[in-house]
Amino acid sequence: MALSDNELIINAQNGDVLAFEELMYRYDKMVLRIALKYTGNSDDSKDIYQDVFIKVFKGLSNFQFKSEFSTWLFRIATNTCITFKRKYNMTKHFSLNDDEDSNFLSSIPDDESLPDKLVANSEQGEKIDAALNNLSPNQKMSFLLKHYEGYKIREIAEMMNCKEGTIKKYLFEAVRKLKLQLENTY
Amino acid sequence: MEHNDYKKMIQFYLYEELDLENKILLEEHLKSCNECKLELESYKKLFAEIKIDSNSPLNPKLLMEARFELRGLLRAERNKVSTSTKIFEKITSLITKPVGLAVSGVLILLAGLFIGYLVFKSPATENEKPYNPFNDQIKISNINFIDPDPTNGKVEFTFNVIKPGYYKGNINDPEVQKILTYAILNEQNPGTRLNSINVINASKSNLLDDEIKSTLITVAKYDDNPGVRREALKSLKEIPLDTEIKNALIYVLLNDTSAGIRIEAINNLVEAAKKGFGFSNNDLSILKEKIQADKNNYVRFQASNIIKEY
Repeated sequence: MALSDNELIINAQNGDVLAFEELMYRYDKMVLRIALKYTGNSDDSKDIYQDVFIKVFKGLSNFQFKSEFSTWLFRIATNTCITFKRKYNMTKHFSLNDDEDSNFLSSIPDDESLPDKLVANSEQGEKIDAALNNLSPNQKMSFLLKHYEGYKIREIAEMMNCKEGTIKKYLFEAVRKLKLQLENTY
Repeated sequence: MEHNDYKKMIQFYLYEELDLENKILLEEHLKSCNECKLELESYKKLFAEIKIDSNSPLNPKLLMEARFELRGLLRAERNKVSTSTKIFEKITSLITKPVGLAVSGVLILLAGLFIGYLVFKSPATENEKPYNPFNDQIKISNINFIDPDPTNGKVEFTFNVIKPGYYKGNINDPEVQKILTYAILNEQNPGTRLNSINVINASKSNLLDDEIKSTLITVAKYDDNPGVRREALKSLKEIPLDTEIKNALIYVLLNDTSAGIRIEAINNLVEAAKKGFGFSNNDLSILKEKIQADKNNYVRFQASNIIKEY
């Protein structure tokens, strides 16, 4: 029978390399998918993926089972994505104030600046990606965790270290913007 | 509650994240408000589109590359940890023994002298040449200007230096495997990719490695050279068939434009069927379709043979 996350963590904390890899492979697709959707770029998503799991590897010995492993992992992934954007100054489309209704429609990227895509991404998928590019980092991350990973608002709040009300605000704004951009396409 | 308050609740109603009281209030409101009903339908359509996008598969090549690179980084991290632990243990074992105290004193003195030498030695003479990347054996690529303005007499840029490397080792060495799997996936010359697969094939124990199996599957599915794809399929034949390989063979059967490659794939599947490998109903229905649709007689014939086995 497969070991639980906690059993694998204990084994990994005792130096079991295979236990760490098994734990990693349970979640790494989700992390890569979020990173790819967040950055829209294969190379950046690989960098984030690697950063996240190196941090997990270094921090696992201090993991104290106070939260679910997945919550802890996505907290690291969320921070890594958001700081990655900031580090490379890729947030030029966004207002510093998440609540501000910026003139985001004018910043829809042209075809050349559209990111690398999944192998079989549909035309609609590309439109969604372009629309995602116009969300602020926090709006985008809340949206991805909700709609692509199916987490509850309470869980997202824990991952992003903020209040549920704030996450609701991010989600509301994110969906409003997406709806406005996509409503003539479906 | 105002109409707009209800409107704002619709999104969270669809998330099933409204408390019971608000849920009942909204459902009552929806019975009488056409605008909110339309809004609800519009949200449903949007979420359905997003759902389709969220289910699109992750590029397996990207995942494999990411895992491959990460494994290398993790290996380096582990080595770092174990080296520093060893040094720490050596030092603590030295200074806890009485004899070690004297030895460590001498070592500290020597370290001090060495640091002093480094700090106070005379500066580099004119004869010492600075690092020169421009010689016959080195290639330069990816030049990026930081400061392209020549008006002050200086420019600044970065570039990649590619140096030739050499390695001789056992075919089972992890380093050799690492280079070969990298070559199979990334080398531009198809001959080199082919040779790398052949070298990996030479050691049967290599083929049991998950990373090599994943590499071969990726190559069999996506490499743009048919010869390389076929060689990868031949190598996969040497590995005990599992669901992952079976799915790759079916993928090749459905998508590869080269009849020769499809024949290689169907032959692998026929052998698996003879050995009693279990095919799902879905696999069998794909094969039935192949019997009717494939342009190649042999592929159709072999597909019918598998069906007969069941």
